[in-house]
Amino acid sequence: MIGRRKNAGRRGAIDRVPVDRILPPEGVPLTLRVAGIGVRLGAQITDVLLTVAGAVAAFILVTALGVVGPEGAFAIAMLLFFAIRVPYYVLAELIWNGQTLGKRMMKIKVVSHDGGPLTTHAIVLRNLMKEAEVFLPMTLILMLDGEAPVEALLGLAWILICLLVPLMNRYRMRLGDLMAGTHVIHLPVPILLKDLAVARLPGSANEERFTFLPHQLDHYGAFELQTLETLLRVETGANGPWDAGANGATKAAIVERIRRKIGYSNPVAPADHGAFLWAFYNAQRQHLEQRQLFGDRREDKHFAEQEADR
Amino acid sequence: MGQGGLIDRGGLADRGGLADRGGLADRGGLADQGDLMRSARFRREREAGWRRLEALVAEAETAGLQRMSFAATRDLAALYRQATTALAIAREISLDKALLDYLEALTARAYLSVYAPRERLGGLFRRFFTIGAPQAMRRSWPFVLIGLFCLALGALTGFLLYRESAAWFYVFIPAELAGGRGPEATTEALRAAIYDQDPDSSGLGAFATFLFSHNTRIAILVFGLGAFLCFPAILLTFYNGLILGAFLALHVDRGLGVDLAGWLSVHGVTELAAICIAYAGGVRLGAAILFPGDRTRVDALRHAGRDAAKLAIVAGLMLLVAAFLEGFVRQLVQERDARLAVGWGVGLAWLAWFALAGRRSR
Repeated sequence: MIGRRKNAGRRGAIDRVPVDRILPPEGVPLTLRVAGIGVRLGAQITDVLLTVAGAVAAFILVTALGVVGPEGAFAIAMLLFFAIRVPYYVLAELIWNGQTLGKRMMKIKVVSHDGGPLTTHAIVLRNLMKEAEVFLPMTLILMLDGEAPVEALLGLAWILICLLVPLMNRYRMRLGDLMAGTHVIHLPVPILLKDLAVARLPGSANEERFTFLPHQLDHYGAFELQTLETLLRVETGANGPWDAGANGATKAAIVERIRRKIGYSNPVAPADHGAFLWAFYNAQRQHLEQRQLFGDRREDKHFAEQEADR
Repeated sequence: MGQGGLIDRGGLADRGGLADRGGLADRGGLADQGDLMRSARFRREREAGWRRLEALVAEAETAGLQRMSFAATRDLAALYRQATTALAIAREISLDKALLDYLEALTARAYLSVYAPRERLGGLFRRFFTIGAPQAMRRSWPFVLIGLFCLALGALTGFLLYRESAAWFYVFIPAELAGGRGPEATTEALRAAIYDQDPDSSGLGAFATFLFSHNTRIAILVFGLGAFLCFPAILLTFYNGLILGAFLALHVDRGLGVDLAGWLSVHGVTELAAICIAYAGGVRLGAAILFPGDRTRVDALRHAGRDAAKLAIVAGLMLLVAAFLEGFVRQLVQERDARLAVGWGVGLAWLAWFALAGRRSR
């Protein structure tokens, strides 16, 4: 309803570069939102904590058995961490289809960049590169003991550059992702809300109370319709979308606005605001869907100007 | 896809069943709502199938595809394809945001389950060792040989330079690596270092320490540097050769040449080969960036990455074996000829693996 020209322009700009689109072999593009740095860092930290816990347990076991002297202790701890870490990432992503435990917790997932299946090679490569990017330089720095500051600085710079790579591209791909052809997405959650068009008024007599003429429905487009839909879902009262609901003032303002825009002369009683909006939603949706079937797709209320521009 | 026919047949049989199941619940509702708008009817007719797909996807994600029954997996694939079609249609005919969002998310979830990697771990390991790794090695022979050549050239240079002036030893070899073994050390001390009876430095601690020793660092650096630009990797390999050459020259000077060869052979054959292989992997990546040929650079990198990853795994494996040899076997085997035999025997075994495994029988 309140969609501004500026907003519409910005939406258009995002649509031109569909970052979140993946094309599966079926040929119907799917939207899978690319996971940001923060979520991935959270998953990574969880995984590191898990593997460190495993390594510490193994280290305690080894020391309890008395196989090692104190001189090689640090090296052995590093070795155990390494021996647990490398298989963990690869096997977890193989078994859980691109998810480690940390990723499961954060509800993110690795997918193949080209929409095909996630191959074993891709999983192995992206996780081996993780070693080369962060863990091995880190281990080397720790092993250097500050005796070679130049090498330590080089290692740090290396890690920093690798951590900056995801910020440089739109898919937030690490170096390993780039080589393996993968990126990380948010798992979508399918929730089917009730269809507002099916939810009916209690008495079918109410249906005839508001009627809209075709020219009154030529003012709005899909964006406004879906904004109204969102509002009706949020503002739904206890008895259904036709109920006035809690927030009467907002509804009154919207009803007034719509009435003025479409030239609906009959006054609407405050008790009927919900019912009016619901009836308008149904009529508008039916109208727009019909126009769309005839090839007249109306993105928002500026559709007439856009057509003139073309 | 080979199973396309099967899934289709299954889907056809099932479609009738699903329609029935959904229909029973809905028919009463549909009768009095015949005047529903088209997109609402579209949703009514298919909703039962989507719900079932949702349940199947949840089952596939928690229990795994392997544990699902044949009928369930067949339905999953068929319903997934129906849902994709429904999504494509809904995008054209429906403006119901709830429906579009739901279908989008459901199809994406189903897509992720249907196109999951379906390889068994056992088969994966076997394929890597019998086919993948040796074939990658054979494809990379020239690069491994170039690495070996750099190393040998470095060793020769180091050897000759040491012959000219012993002071070069201090230039090439960092003090902590030499461990007190230098031109000023006595021949007896050098011999003692080679035939070491000190029990403290053997066993697991030594194994771990050696693993993170100089040569492992070199291998990692060579791989990493090669991936960026070939040149630093070549330089580093050459430098590693210089160290080797100077070390060898010092011992040859004292008449301990063959003894050192035995000492080095035990693990060195494996370890130096691992460095050459790491070098080959890194340089293949670097070469893909420098000379991508007809491909784009990213494509070339991706293509070279297939072999480079395998080479890195092989090199890592060899370093592990080398550390094992260095930590345990070298202390057990104190005789010179036996050491030579063990070292080169293991080297021959590697060579046989690379050269013979994974060939197609004609």
